[in-house]
Amino acid sequence: MGELDALRVREDVLQAMYWIRSEGLGEAPQREELARFLAVPKETLTPYLDRFVDEGYLERVGDGFALTDFGAQLGKRSFAEEFAGLTGQAHGECDEDCWCHESPDEAARCLEERKQHVH
Amino acid sequence: MSTEPALPRNFLRPCLLLLLREQPAHGYDLLERLRSLGFDRDDPGGLYRSLRSLERDGLVCSAWERSTSGPDRRTYKLTRAGMEELHARTKALAEARETLDIFLSRYAEFVTLRGAETRVEARR
Repeated sequence: MGELDALRVREDVLQAMYWIRSEGLGEAPQREELARFLAVPKETLTPYLDRFVDEGYLERVGDGFALTDFGAQLGKRSFAEEFAGLTGQAHGECDEDCWCHESPDEAARCLEERKQHVH
Repeated sequence: MSTEPALPRNFLRPCLLLLLREQPAHGYDLLERLRSLGFDRDDPGGLYRSLRSLERDGLVCSAWERSTSGPDRRTYKLTRAGMEELHARTKALAEARETLDIFLSRYAEFVTLRGAETRVEARR
């Protein structure tokens, strides 16, 4: 496995495992459950999980894997960073309380008005 | 033969937008509320991947909500772009419903005719 692949998979796994834990859906999912959750083949995921255990992000608990404190911190932080700044409002957009949110026709009118006011 | 309802392709996305329009929610809450819209509660991975996809597309946003009793939870809410997408998808669904209504109406005529034929034959 390449180092860049390992970094990408590590973020995906740690983020998913933090989300699973925070929603109360499981503390130590098994590799089959994680593979199904991430929609990847178990055979693809397994070597990464073993590597993340060796690197201290995960620990084996029974037949499953749990986040270490270090892994949990990284999963939580990278989750937030991945989407930071994606959903901010752009110039000319209406705000959260705009009347256009009430119906498709009003939304279309609002969009049309905003298009006319673009500089 | 499957008796599962044949939901439209990618129906999960507009359903999530609708649920988040009703109120911001955590993942677990969404899993519970999706049941009333015909989704199996046993697919948290599908929900997780859909939420990430919606967030990547700028249709929902999320933030960690502090918890005193356990790990922080991710709270999701609809963005303005998400509201517009919900309107657009709902319009498309309404149009699809018109087509389905025509289909079901014609099917009902066929079933009624077949039923009548069967009754006539049974009387002979």
